Amino acid sequence: MSYELLIALRQLRARKFQTLLSVGAIALAVMVLTVSHSLLAGFTGELYNTTVEKLPHVSVSPEEGEDYIYLYGTLIERISSIEGVTAISPFLTGQASFKFKDNSLNCELRGTVPSQENQISSIEEDMVEGSFQELDFSRNTVVIGSKLAEKLKVNLGDSVDVSFPNANPLSLRVVGIFHTGSPLDESLAYTSLKTAQQFYDVSDVVNGVSVRLRDFNNDRKVANEIEEVGYNAKGWTETDPAILHTIAIESTSNTVLYGLIVVVASFGVVSTLNLSVIGARGQIGMLRAMGAQVSGIQRIFILQSGILGLLGALFGTFTGVLISLAIGQYEVPADPSDAYGSISFIPIVVHPQYILSIILAVFLLNLITGVYPARQAAKIDPIKAISSK
Amino acid sequence: MTNESPVIELKNLTKVYQNGVEFRALDNANLRIEKGEFVAIVGPSGSGKSTLMHLIGLLDSPSSGTLLIDGKDVTKMSDKERSGMRNSILGFVFQYHHLLPDFTALENVMMPLLIAGKSREKAKNVAEELLKEVGLEGRMDHRPGELSGGQNQRVAIARALSCSPSIVLGDEPTGNLDTKTGDMIYELLRRLNKEYNQTFIVVTHNEELASKADKIIRLVDGKITVQ
Ligand SMILES: Nc1ncnc2c1ncn2[C@@H]1O[C@H](COP(=O)(O)OP(=O)(O)OP(=O)(O)O)[C@@H](O)[C@H]1O
Ligand SMILES: [Mg+2]
Repeated sequence: MSYELLIALRQLRARKFQTLLSVGAIALAVMVLTVSHSLLAGFTGELYNTTVEKLPHVSVSPEEGEDYIYLYGTLIERISSIEGVTAISPFLTGQASFKFKDNSLNCELRGTVPSQENQISSIEEDMVEGSFQELDFSRNTVVIGSKLAEKLKVNLGDSVDVSFPNANPLSLRVVGIFHTGSPLDESLAYTSLKTAQQFYDVSDVVNGVSVRLRDFNNDRKVANEIEEVGYNAKGWTETDPAILHTIAIESTSNTVLYGLIVVVASFGVVSTLNLSVIGARGQIGMLRAMGAQVSGIQRIFILQSGILGLLGALFGTFTGVLISLAIGQYEVPADPSDAYGSISFIPIVVHPQYILSIILAVFLLNLITGVYPARQAAKIDPIKAISSK
Repeated sequence: MTNESPVIELKNLTKVYQNGVEFRALDNANLRIEKGEFVAIVGPSGSGKSTLMHLIGLLDSPSSGTLLIDGKDVTKMSDKERSGMRNSILGFVFQYHHLLPDFTALENVMMPLLIAGKSREKAKNVAEELLKEVGLEGRMDHRPGELSGGQNQRVAIARALSCSPSIVLGDEPTGNLDTKTGDMIYELLRRLNKEYNQTFIVVTHNEELASKADKIIRLVDGKITVQ
């Protein structure tokens, strides 16, 4: 052990109270940062799960200039051979006018293969009445959103009239009602692909294919591969960039805020160390006389600051992780309000690499803030320091 | 011995302080100190004794003139080289001991060796030996706060000797002690000087103590008057 480290450690031990206070302040700030990050990471993770998971990760649309994808069977085969694709759902969608008694509303009518569509949107989880699979079993049936049902004043089992210019009017029986908590509840209705083709008066074609991936972060890569086949394909980050934005802004503003608290706590160490430099004038002068270089004297104080930072970061992250895990154990039933979909407990995610980077960052930060007291110590004139008591 | 080059040689060494007015704290000092000599520096307050010690101790730089230590011109050395020389060939005892309060007597004596990069083991052996030499074998694990003024000054002497310096500088090492303790410390320095044949330069106000030295240097107004 170098003499600098030896002296640094001994001085920290001698000033127990100040050391405890400095470490405590940093630890507290780091703890808040750790807990807030774990909450935020869990929360955004959950937000991804509830929103992105139900989104088609890649959406394929017809070739340039075409309204439909004619050979969708072949396309689906091609897509299913791409690595990382877990589900594919072809659909035919368009506008339709819904009428029940005196109420009428326009919304999107989407014809799908129910079992495949469910793998994309997990819509079955959101069913509040009836069954989504029923679309497969009986013709001329429809599943509508809760808001739409409310506005049309229809109930399960009622038949609604669906029409649109250039479409074959149909009477569809409501076999299910879903509630997602999103605007889709008012603007989307599902039917079977066959029924939709009949309604829009087309042959066996679709106008879109939804693709689900094992890792939704690969959306653009897979979209590019599909585009090579000649179709238009877009990843969810291109079609729904707003989701990314909301999440990114929230996480950065929180991290910046709590990061600043850590900086403030670290600056507290500076004033403590400055005082200790003043108190150690004579010793510093004597160390210089004994042959310690200016750089060695500086190191004594930078090390003290760094050690305080490291201890604070270790205690802070340790307690922060403990508290986070404790919160995570507690599945607090939250109000399943519409704003955040179906998040109904406090999710916690502790990222080990984030914890490590906090520890490293706080250590480095304190090494840097230690430069100021170290400079003060270096400025001391050994002759004057030695000559005074 | 006279044919050997002196350990310390001052040639027209001058220190001028310039705070608005020019002040010659050391004025054209010429001096030769031989190896193993015990030199006493005396003179009234403000005559430049400490200034001379700080120059020889490489803690301060002269305004003009030359200082040779072991025949080497040290006036043009970098801070790093001077620090290295302070560590290896110079030992200091000041009026105030400035021992590190959080370290034991033993650790304080080990410190110059640790600064030199020696192992703890080696430093400990040397320090124990020296503390025995100054009569503190029973007090090695005490901290400065638990020792008397005289004891602390003896620890400081042991510390000054730990890197086996060729020159030991004492600036009023007994100035802060009562007469009896001061005499004891002075005797100790004299004994160590004879035992190790190191060069000792000691500033003192006590004429009786000074008279026991091999050589007495008198300073008045920054000038060496008698040697
Ligand atoms: N940094 C400085 N700036 C200006 N003048 C100084 C400085 N250091 C010392 N002096 C002056 O130089 C002169 C010599 O000082 P020095 O400390 O060498 O005296 P001294 O002989 O050791 O005195 P004492 O016996 O009181 O210790 C004094 O007049 C002092 O005021
Ligand atoms: Mg003096």
